[in-house]
Order: sequence, then structure tokens, then C-alpha cells
Amino acid sequence: MTYLTFGRTQCRVLWRRKQDTVNALLFFVMVVALFPLGINPSAAFLAPAAGGIIWCAAVLAILMAIDGIFKEDFRDGTLEQWVVCGLSLPVLMLIKVAIHWFAVVFPLLLVMPLVSEMLMLPSGSFWVLVATVLAGTPCLFLLGAIGAALTVSLKQGATLVILVILPFYLPVIIFATSAIEASQVGLPYIGFVAMLLAVSLLSLVVSPFMTAVAVKASVN
Amino acid sequence: MLFSASLDVSNVWIERSDRDLCRDLSFTLRAGEVLRVLGDNGAGKSSLLKVVAGAMTPLEGRIMFNGQDVTSHRALLQQSMVYIGHGAGLKSMLTIEENLLSYCPATSPEQMQSVLDILDLANHQETYVKALSAGQSRRVALARLWLSQCPLWLLDEPFASLDVSGVAVVESKIQQHINEGGMVLLTTHQALSSVVTRDLVLS
Amino acid sequence: MSWAWFHRLGSPKSFFFWSKRWARPAFLSGLIILIVGLVWGLAFAPPDYQQGDSFRIIYIHVPAAMLAQTCYFALGVAGIVSLVWQMKIAPMFIRAVAPIGAVMAFISLVTGAIWGKTAWGTWWVWDARLTSVLVLFFLYMGIIALQNALEETALADKATAVISVVGLINLPIIKYSVVWWNTLHQGATFTLTEKPAMPVEMWLPLLIAVIGFYCMVMGLALWRMQTIILLREHRTQWVKQEVTDHGV
Repeated sequence: MTYLTFGRTQCRVLWRRKQDTVNALLFFVMVVALFPLGINPSAAFLAPAAGGIIWCAAVLAILMAIDGIFKEDFRDGTLEQWVVCGLSLPVLMLIKVAIHWFAVVFPLLLVMPLVSEMLMLPSGSFWVLVATVLAGTPCLFLLGAIGAALTVSLKQGATLVILVILPFYLPVIIFATSAIEASQVGLPYIGFVAMLLAVSLLSLVVSPFMTAVAVKASVN
Repeated sequence: MLFSASLDVSNVWIERSDRDLCRDLSFTLRAGEVLRVLGDNGAGKSSLLKVVAGAMTPLEGRIMFNGQDVTSHRALLQQSMVYIGHGAGLKSMLTIEENLLSYCPATSPEQMQSVLDILDLANHQETYVKALSAGQSRRVALARLWLSQCPLWLLDEPFASLDVSGVAVVESKIQQHINEGGMVLLTTHQALSSVVTRDLVLS
Repeated sequence: MSWAWFHRLGSPKSFFFWSKRWARPAFLSGLIILIVGLVWGLAFAPPDYQQGDSFRIIYIHVPAAMLAQTCYFALGVAGIVSLVWQMKIAPMFIRAVAPIGAVMAFISLVTGAIWGKTAWGTWWVWDARLTSVLVLFFLYMGIIALQNALEETALADKATAVISVVGLINLPIIKYSVVWWNTLHQGATFTLTEKPAMPVEMWLPLLIAVIGFYCMVMGLALWRMQTIILLREHRTQWVKQEVTDHGV
């Protein structure tokens, strides 16, 4: 096994299982649709709340998607094979998370224009939303992978991962929605995006090693 | 191809779920040898293989490969071994060929074809693994033995769910491997009919 | 400098006998100090000129909040010790302390809410400090849920150690993001954090109560760890000897 074949295999499996990604996207759009239906469809409520709604829905969708990233690998024994293949496990984990990030976030960005129209997000804030998604979601995936690796041996659903990991997502949600709100009232928002990038970079340093430790503990 | 390698496992203690599996276990495996690990269910046969493979960390003990201490540099050992565990390690959404190429990327199409012929999977090259029976999946997992050039094989119940012809093919491959100076560490409940083995009994 | 004491404490057996000596004195002295602090604070300290007697809840609220944070910090440190040095005692410490920290966070939330009812007229205000204690409580509950869900001890130990370390790194980020969020969304209201300087008759009992809380929790943690050690090492000779000699 090489890093290249590992990455290629991951891409192939993801592509053949595209329904999972589609499900996550559908979930995202449905959660977004709950807010106008459940609270208030007027622009006066939706426009200022749009950033927060989109981010909360995205966080939930990502948590649902990330819960399963190691489940099948654990069941079919490939997880064990990665541990013993002689390649660096943290690097393998990083490759895997990066591929999953791309596979979920790229389609997510494609539906962003749709949901931001649905929620009447002011058009000036759209690109800020895109920037926060690009800068903040790597952190969500990297931290979520740790939780997914820790709970991979459990049969139960995503509840436990959500319970364990969601508190760690709070800073990302706060910085991202603050950036969008700041852009709506004409305040500088670049600092918030920089904070998001910083949080993502920090998790880039910590997460692969922690995920590797968790995977190794789980295959035993 | 002729291998010359040796594996020294000394004073290994394995604990699992607060239960001692192996206490102070030592053994040596030399080139051209098959070591069969025997023991009751739950005696720690699979755990021992995992420890050698590096999937599990022993409480204590040292593992030497070719005279080099690999206890904390496991990659040295891992690059010259094939480990096939209980799980086949195959992705159900990939074809047989794609699965095998992900493990052994250097395989040529002819080599692939000949191995699949040997394993009676000739017409299944493009079949998804999810469509295979348990015995066929086992054959695909074992195909890595033909495709990789590693001196050390760690096989956990390699004959599970194989039929008679499958067992014969794998046994002859094991025989060929040890003739070339390879080493095999395997757990199995059934006796090997054609291969001479040394037994290690875990109690 | 010799590290022998460090390694000796790391072995469950010597830790057990060490903690057996110290658990009771720590707990009892903590209890006495706490009673002194509470009686002083609740009965004899002067009432606050703004809040009257309702401020007295700080004699429980503040120590509990401090302990909730200290315990989480300690979990993170134990997590590092467990992952890096594989010390056997560290995961036991995490298992023993996580519920205590969760209870402390809960006490501080409840007392904070009661205080909020008298100070602000509502049970809950999204104040920075209350919110970060709430998040801390969530973090504790996550660790406990993980601990209970994973049946295999070795895996549960690794998992809680990993989450504790990640939590230790993230705690300052979470805390400051909450403070930041709070200042964005609320103007300067009456906060619990920036009180005018307290007179000495007010903060001295608070200090005593804090020390009492710490000692008591230390004693409790040692007791819990003793139980865990006995459970986990039940096959060893010294535990059998201990149980037959002294009972459980």
C-alpha cells in the first residue's frame, strides 16, 4: 500500500457511495427549511438569522456525515490493515479526512446559493459565508474524525459522536456567524475569518495524531 | 526469489480487557519455517498475531526482526510482512482487481490474471466484492500472498470458510513460500495436510 | 532530580497505600474548613449593599465553578500523562474525577440560576460565565457518556484520555469565544464577574470555602480512585491480601 493508492481507494469508495453525501446534503437543506417553517418566514427574521441557521444546519449535517467515516473500514478489516501497513497512520488519517472534507464541502458550497436565497441572506454577505465555510469546516472535519475514530466500535448511531464533539464546535460556529453578522452591518469581518483559519490550523496539527491514537485503540 | 529473515519474539506479555492472555511468551521463527499457534478459544492466538503485526501493543516484551529491534520501529517489520486478519480487509464497493491493486499497486495485469486463475476467480476480475461469497472473499484476501514479495506472513485462520480445493491451493502456496525461505506464523484449528509445521501452544 | 517518587506513585499499588493514608484527612479537613467558611459566609459576613443577602450564594457558586474548571484542567493533564507515559494511574484518575467535575459544574449552574433569579429576575441569562460553565458541563457529559458507552476498559481509557487532551487544548478557545460572543451580543450589564472590590469580611470566608471545597474534592477523588484500583487490580496478590486483611 502507498499513500497514493490509499487516497485513490478512498476516492473510489466515496464515489461509489455518493448516496451518503447526497443524504448529508438533503439533511442540510431540510434542517434549513425547518426554520422558516417553524419560526417565521419573513425577511425581517430570516435575513439576520440566515448565517446562524446555515451554520447550525451545516454543523449537524457534517456531524452526521463524519460519524460513519470509519464504520465500514472497521467492519471489513481495512482499518486494521492501515494500522499494520507500515505507512504513517496520522498521514493516512489526514488524507482520508481531507478527501471526505472535499467530498462534503464542495457540494455544500454548490447548494449555498440556493439556501442563502431561501433564507434571504443579503447578497453582500454571500461571499463571507463562503469564506467562513472554507475556513471553518476543516476544523469540524478534523475534530469530528477524532470522535468518529473513538466510537467506531460501537453499533449505536451518531448520537454519541454528536454529544462528545458538538461542544468543541462552538468556537467555529461563534466565529463564523459573527463574521457573517459583521459583514451584514458593515463591520470588518476579516478578523473572524482569520480566527476560523487559526482554529482549523490548530486542529490540523493535533487531530491526525489523536485520530491515529483513537484508531489504534479501536482496532484492538 | 529467496528470502532470509528471522523473527525473535521474547518475553511478551499480552493483556486484554484486564485479562492476561500471554505471560512471558518467547519464540523464534527462522527462514523456511511455519509456526502454528494453537490454543483454546480466547487463549490469545489472534492477539498474538496482532501484537507481532503491530496492531496491538503488548504490556512488555521485545520483537526482533532480522536481528533488529523493531519493538518501537514497527514500520521496518510491517514493510516486509503480510497480515491477514479475521476481517478480509476488502472494500465491498470495489472490484476484486481494485481491492488487490490498492494493496499491491505494482501488480501487472498478467500477474493479476494468473493469480485469479489459480484462485478460481478468473471470471470475477470486475466483480464487486459485495457480490462474492464468504469463501470467495477469503480467496481474494489471500491473493495478496501471491502478489506481494514479503518474507513474513501472519495468517489468522486463513482456511476459514475455504473449500477443500481452496485449502489445497493455499497450502501449496505456503509450501512454496517456505521453500523460498519465507516465514509463516498462522493460527488454525485444522491440521495442515501437506506442510510441516512447528506448533506453539498457548495455555 | 530523581523521578523515583513519580514512578512509585504511578504504580497502582503504591498509589493505593499512599491515598489510603491521605483520603480521610483530606476529606475531613476539607469538610471542617468548608463548614467554617460557609457558616462565616452565610451567617456572619455583612450583606451586600446592592444585592442584600442573595449574594451569599457565591460561597457555594464560586468554589464549585472554580473546581469544575480545575477538574477539567486536571483531566487534560492526566490525559497527556496517560497518552505519553502510559501511566496506569492516569486513566483511573480521569474516571474518578470526571463525574466529580460534572457535579461541580452542575452545582455551579444551579446556584448561578438561583442567583440570576434574584439579581436579574430570570432563571437564565446568557451571561458569558454561565454559558461557559454550561459548555463545560456538556464537555463533562460527553466524557462520561463515552466512558459508559465503551465497554472495553483499555479502549474507554484511551478514548477519554484523547478527548481530555483535545479538551485541554480547546478549553481556552471555547472560553474566549464565548466571552467574545457575549460582548458582541450584550452591552455592559450587571455581570457576576466584575464586582466592585469586596471587603475583607466578604472574601475571606470565600477563600476559606474555596480551600475547603478543594480539600474535600481531593479526598473524594482519592476515595474513588481507591475503589477503581481495587476493581481493576482485583487479580493481583496485594489486593487479595488487602481485602482479606482490612475488608473493603
